[in-house]
Amino acid sequence: MLVLTRKAGEGIVIGDNITIKVVEIKGGSIRLGIDAPKTSKIYRQEVYERISAENQQALQWQLDDLDTVVPSKTKDK
Amino acid sequence: MKKIQTRFGEVEYDPSNLLHFPAGLIGFPSLRDFIVMPNKKKGPLFWIQSVDDPDVAFVLTDPTNFFLEYRVVPEESEKNHLQIDSDSECYALSVVTVPPDRKITLNLAAPILFSPKSNRAIQVILENTEYQSKTPLPA
Repeated sequence: MLVLTRKAGEGIVIGDNITIKVVEIKGGSIRLGIDAPKTSKIYRQEVYERISAENQQALQWQLDDLDTVVPSKTKDK
Repeated sequence: MKKIQTRFGEVEYDPSNLLHFPAGLIGFPSLRDFIVMPNKKKGPLFWIQSVDDPDVAFVLTDPTNFFLEYRVVPEESEKNHLQIDSDSECYALSVVTVPPDRKITLNLAAPILFSPKSNRAIQVILENTEYQSKTPLPA
């Protein structure tokens, strides 16, 4: 992993169209400003990893489950 | 028609009628094309099978089957991914998890946006939302 030291107000550039700037350093936290193309989705890492793990868990199922795990009182579409 | 082996046996599909995820699903960025498998008994759950990985299949549902008020409005960038304009229909689907106790949960925090017009879909993570990724069915 590339490791760089930056001060508040300084930034880094990734490729041609992503810029990350250190906006503020306060207490134990750093505020980052990110400029990136709208097509790049930006997520907090722990949120992304949690959804990724939950998708992984969602692979565990059997064909029978399709018709048996939903209570029968559920309305028909 | 083409055929693939899945963990549920052989599945026949029409390669011109696949659901395309231009960015894959979250955690599965390289799996772009899925076969949509309807529910034979007309229940609310159906499934999608990756054509590239026989082990990858997700159970999905229209969450408004269970949560009438649930709505997700796609952002501009998401509409671009789906190749739709603002007038086109776009539906939110939920990934269903079947835990060992078989009390299923819906991932309302990371819906799949789906355009019937372009047959494209994208999974998004909702920010600043009260929706939970492991929402049990309403009692």
